[in-house]
Amino acid sequence: MKKTLPFLIAVLVLAWMTALLPVSAGAEPAKTMLTLYEGPKTMTSSQTASVTANGYDLFVYDVMVNHEHIWNADTQPTTTPMTYFDFDGKVRLEIRMPGLEHPVENAEVIPRSWGITPEVADGTVRFTITEPGQYTVVFNGSVHRALHIFANPPETDLPDFGDPDVFYIGPGEWVMDAIALHDGQTLYLSGGAVLHSMISVANAKNVRICGRGIIDGSDYPAWNQPGSYARVPVDLNHSRDVSVEGIIIANSNCWNLNSYSSRNVRIDNVKIISGRQNGDGFTFQSCTDHLVTNCFARTWDDSLVIKNYSGSTKGITFRGMQVWTDLAQSMEIGYETDKGLTLDPEICDVLFEDITVLYNFHKPVISIHNSDDAFVHDIVYRNIVVENAFMQGDNGNNKELIEMTLANSSWSTVRDEFGSIDNVLIDGLTVLNTPDGKVPRSRLAGHDEEHRITNVTLRNVTILGQPVTTLKEMKLSVDDYCENIGIR
Amino acid sequence: MKRMLSFLAAAALLCAPAAVPAEDTEEIETVVTVVSAPDQTQAERPPCFPDPSDNFIQLPDTENYALHKPVTAGAHTDVYVIGNVNDGKTDTYWESKGWPAEATIDLQGTFTVSAVAVCLNPSSIWEPRTQEIAVWISADGETFTEIVPAAKYGFDAETGNRIRIDFESVDAAFVRLVFTMSTASRTGGAQAAEICVY
Repeated sequence: MKKTLPFLIAVLVLAWMTALLPVSAGAEPAKTMLTLYEGPKTMTSSQTASVTANGYDLFVYDVMVNHEHIWNADTQPTTTPMTYFDFDGKVRLEIRMPGLEHPVENAEVIPRSWGITPEVADGTVRFTITEPGQYTVVFNGSVHRALHIFANPPETDLPDFGDPDVFYIGPGEWVMDAIALHDGQTLYLSGGAVLHSMISVANAKNVRICGRGIIDGSDYPAWNQPGSYARVPVDLNHSRDVSVEGIIIANSNCWNLNSYSSRNVRIDNVKIISGRQNGDGFTFQSCTDHLVTNCFARTWDDSLVIKNYSGSTKGITFRGMQVWTDLAQSMEIGYETDKGLTLDPEICDVLFEDITVLYNFHKPVISIHNSDDAFVHDIVYRNIVVENAFMQGDNGNNKELIEMTLANSSWSTVRDEFGSIDNVLIDGLTVLNTPDGKVPRSRLAGHDEEHRITNVTLRNVTILGQPVTTLKEMKLSVDDYCENIGIR
Repeated sequence: MKRMLSFLAAAALLCAPAAVPAEDTEEIETVVTVVSAPDQTQAERPPCFPDPSDNFIQLPDTENYALHKPVTAGAHTDVYVIGNVNDGKTDTYWESKGWPAEATIDLQGTFTVSAVAVCLNPSSIWEPRTQEIAVWISADGETFTEIVPAAKYGFDAETGNRIRIDFESVDAAFVRLVFTMSTASRTGGAQAAEICVY
């Protein structure tokens, strides 16, 4: 034993040194591959923020967001800075915020799971990243002028630009009323591009939208204003085998990435920031087989939302998402669950997995509002982290952490029939912060003996650092029309 | 062995704390690719999408007798009222609530007419569709005569999302279009941004 211990120590020390070899033994460090995108020459970089990556200036965009956490048909958005680049390796970011009222004294990089503690000195924020992803920096403890940094991985699988079915939009500022994509077509929107337009994929298959550029709706008044209408930046309609990858959607005058009665859709690394009326993020109606991964949605209306407009919904997965909800719900099923008045409507086989809610300022984080007559079942929420559960609700209502209801609403189409909710699993729910340091309330409410909420299971719930193992600790109210509701 | 261990431990201790600040201050060897923006003074149409207006169906260059005249129809969908069909704007539109859908324009006088046009928003997001349309006329707004029987017309952004129906010249004080079908996927009624009478 005496001989074994020194040997083990030696092995451990050697292992430690081996891990340090690239730095300490003079080995050639891997070079960082960094791709920067000039902004259009018609635009100027933000006066609010300046950002460098490994010493190189980044173009910073000011994009619309909204800090009014209650519905207002005439709301006026404000802006926040956003920048992006691609890299592989290591990037040292330096941020200055001349647009803030006060010099930067402290900063936080979120999601917290990055584990980054930035250095703040002389009004400059510095930190290093080694993984592609979405980073948000909050300054001086205020969400105003938070900086969104989209650090993409290098582009792969570029389309064949010689193919006549591939449309290439390069860097620069571009405008076009709309772009309709048809069977087999690809739209590549280069990094550095700002495209004022809307992209429609209607009755089409095998369509791809990719690149690093921005689809921008700032030219258009909010859709509900006189003379305006909804200019949906990416609108999939009765289509299949569609992919959307890598782009940014900002300043939309309505909802953002809409899919309607479509199937087999893949969405990856799409970033959405909205600040105007009905600015829902990823919104799917009566869709099947949609997989959404590694995306970001900061929205002034529901962030991730599933509805039924013309049939049933089946097989929707959101995985590895970051969400910031300035208005409405973060992960919403409903309210419309049978707008198309179809027979036996369902919403089923839905998975929300590895979702980080950076902030929710308004309504429930997890919600199923079955306000028509659908059968909503087999819904799973797995590994949900809510960094800031700041739901203020509307005049004190709808500020739950979790809410499931069977009730008519102003969005109901079916008025005299009701549906049900069955088999919902919430496995892994962590809330890190609440405004009052208390557990937020949650609520489940069925409608009557025949229209019930059944078989809802919560497990691995931790709120404010404390495991929650009873409905009472969870502050989960359950009415007489709920059955087999459990937490462990 | 003891000496070796001491050396290794010392080396490790020296290296470990040195590595952290080194990461913070070191210059990161970087291969940079800068994607440059073109010289522009204003937003432009993307070159990969040439302007299709040369292919648009041409409308008569004579007076549009329907413009801003009284127009009536049955129920409409949502906010898409009948008054939108002759306000001179193709970014507003009328959508009927169900079928058939009649739009009747009072020309406020008798005119010799020989064509009507139905326009949708020219934007390419308006999916290609077919609408079935018949043309009726009247001298008094009470008794109507069909002058073009129902036929299917294709609307496509490539040709301006507009159709033109020509017929033998005839005097009319009222013109009625009767819509009986559309292949558009998201509508339960007729749609028209502008109805023009020439």
